[in-house]
Amino acid sequence: MSDALLLPPRLDLPAAAPLAQAFRERLGADIAVDASQVTHLGALCLQVLLSAAITARRRGHALRLIAISDRAAQQLAQMGFTPDTLAEGTP
Amino acid sequence: MSDQNDPMAEIRASFFIECEELLEALQDGLSEMDEGSEDPETINVVFRAVHSIKGGAGAFGLEPLVRFAHRYETVLDEVRSGRLSPDHEGQKLFFQAADHLSDLVRACRDDATVPEDQSQALLDQLNGLLGEQEEDTEVTPEEFEPLGLSLDLPDLDALPAPALTTYTIRFKPEAELYETGNEPQMLLRNLGELGEAQVSCDTSALPSLAELSPETPYVAWTIRLQTAAAEPEIREVFEFVEGLCELTISDASDTEESPPAETLPDAPATIALAGPATDPVEPEEAAAPSPDTPRKSGSGAAAKSVVRVDLERIERLVNLVGELVINQAMLSQSLEQAGLSPHSDAMNGLEEFQRLTRDIQDSVMMIRAQPVKSLFQRMSRIVREASAAVGKEVRLVTEGEATEVDKTVIERLADPLTHMIRNAVDHGLENNEARASSGKPSEGTVRLTAAHRSGRVIIEVSDDGSGIDRPRVLKIATEKGLVPPDVQMTEAEIDNLLFMPGFSTAGKVSNLSGRGVGMDVVRTAIQSLGGRINIFSERGKGTTFSISLPLTLAVLDGMVVRVANETLVLPLNVVVETLSLGPGDVQMLRPGAFVVRVRGGFVPLYDLGVILGYRGPLQDHDRGIVLLIALEDGNRAALVIDGIEDQRQVVIKGLDESFYRAPGIAAATILGDGQIALILDPSDVIASAGSIRPKDRALAERMVEHG
Repeated sequence: MSDALLLPPRLDLPAAAPLAQAFRERLGADIAVDASQVTHLGALCLQVLLSAAITARRRGHALRLIAISDRAAQQLAQMGFTPDTLAEGTP
Repeated sequence: MSDQNDPMAEIRASFFIECEELLEALQDGLSEMDEGSEDPETINVVFRAVHSIKGGAGAFGLEPLVRFAHRYETVLDEVRSGRLSPDHEGQKLFFQAADHLSDLVRACRDDATVPEDQSQALLDQLNGLLGEQEEDTEVTPEEFEPLGLSLDLPDLDALPAPALTTYTIRFKPEAELYETGNEPQMLLRNLGELGEAQVSCDTSALPSLAELSPETPYVAWTIRLQTAAAEPEIREVFEFVEGLCELTISDASDTEESPPAETLPDAPATIALAGPATDPVEPEEAAAPSPDTPRKSGSGAAAKSVVRVDLERIERLVNLVGELVINQAMLSQSLEQAGLSPHSDAMNGLEEFQRLTRDIQDSVMMIRAQPVKSLFQRMSRIVREASAAVGKEVRLVTEGEATEVDKTVIERLADPLTHMIRNAVDHGLENNEARASSGKPSEGTVRLTAAHRSGRVIIEVSDDGSGIDRPRVLKIATEKGLVPPDVQMTEAEIDNLLFMPGFSTAGKVSNLSGRGVGMDVVRTAIQSLGGRINIFSERGKGTTFSISLPLTLAVLDGMVVRVANETLVLPLNVVVETLSLGPGDVQMLRPGAFVVRVRGGFVPLYDLGVILGYRGPLQDHDRGIVLLIALEDGNRAALVIDGIEDQRQVVIKGLDESFYRAPGIAAATILGDGQIALILDPSDVIASAGSIRPKDRALAERMVEHG
């Protein structure tokens, strides 16, 4: 398994495309995501994370959140997710 | 102005007008915050102002403006949610950011180049604020606000909340929502603040990663919100994204499932307002505006309702009313000539007519009047910049911001006031050490006040600095040859030397003032507005510049006089006294220069007929009539005229540029008999006469003072 994917602090619109690319490159294996540095989690990047989680599961892999900052967890909750439901890709 | 045929240009123009208002609200809010306001509404107003600017800018594709406003807003949002409390430096940065935002707005409006470097520098600083704050919150997570949000907690309904209503809100962002810098996460958070929210996300439309286009919205949210807030308040959360998302709000208290599908732009507020409306909202608040016209929100409900009118239309109305006044004067004159009894019905009716005309005129002038607040806000920026440039701590205190002045006056006051404020900061206030050694607080104070006083507007700029160093002023003036070396001058006369062209007391040229544009330019600008400027200074205590302006530039209380069979109008406010000359009142100082005795003193005498070239010098001033005129510099002068006809309001008609600009003639007016009369500017008249040398005037004035 490769190293955990460290998410940048600001996950806003400009960050969405690079993030999707980063996930696409890792789809062949289980993905560990480190969200400990995240201070802003926007909805577009949430979509990328969700899509990555769903896609990984379909391919028989898992996406795990190995760390998440309090801010990100809070923002996640505001959008109706917990770190667990995010990793599963289900609301 | 905008191209009439281009609706977009019009909307764009109205956006920029809106921006000015928003920027004003922003400045207000920041000042309140700076003064330590704890009111959460204050930061809300500030936040919304920036947010609205961003929203509108996004609609017009003003990229740099959106980018800057977005980051600014993010930082303000941190403040709003209590996660960041700006210190003094932070506040300063907020002010700078607000200034820069207004620069950007203006640059975008005028299609000028946007100062990108400055944007970047400020953005970095704002980011710095965010970064710091992030560390803070990460080490002290207990400072987080309670989330007010729950997931999968079915017993929530058991809460004792009789007044609560449950709404089902379906919210699906569209691509434009993201492109304009909005963030659903923030909207959801704000929604959560209204009450207990159960948020569920519909991810059914989400494609696999391979097909995912990262900047396309796929997900939608359904929020069950249990709140005491009324529906308009919920809509307010989505105010800035109206038209940028699909939004359905339904009262789910009785219809738990299958909310009726309605989208906001088509069906505004068709749902009954259940629950107590905590904040009554005007009907139009709930109506859906086009996304192109972001509105002032929140405080908007309390704000006065206003109509925007093209200035040109007002100008036309002002002109028409002017004509009406003239016409009324003509009518009254012809009725008088017809020999009607003053008690006849016609004359009574005319009196009523006169009163009405005057009222209409006053009302029309009120339309043009604007509070000086916008001007003062610009000045607070000047103070900030000027104080930073010279390294002094300066506080600007403003008073009377609601004072209303003619719009033209406000526009033309900006430059002189800027100059005076810079002067006050640069020359008026001592540096920090000097202040400390004289026992003053290190922070200097510049006061800017406006008030109505007896039909005029008084604007004062004062500082608590060291006051005017009169011996030094006199020394410099002597060195520069502005006054003869041996002259004895009163304090007021020395102060007035500051207004002489080419005078500058600054020992060295600072990068702020001393650019050769002096107080003489300020005085000229004020005078061209029909105003006067005076200095009051006390050594060690400070200096006050006082500007007195007429309320309007369109009408004037004038004294109608006759000189060599010509009818002339003098502004009434400069006429101090009228005198009838007796034998021996006039004395010759030297050939061609006369003085008149006024209660034991002497005032220089000017013959209006001679100065204007209507006739030759009078041989005998006996039984002549003299107007005693107060000049801007505090001196007095006497004007010889042939007779006084009337005191009345006259409508000022500007003289076209193609007329030769005759010295002493300010404008013209049309009198009741249809005759055109010139309006004089007495100080200009006397300056153009110029026959009295300062030495003579000093002599004559002293004779008055000691007489």
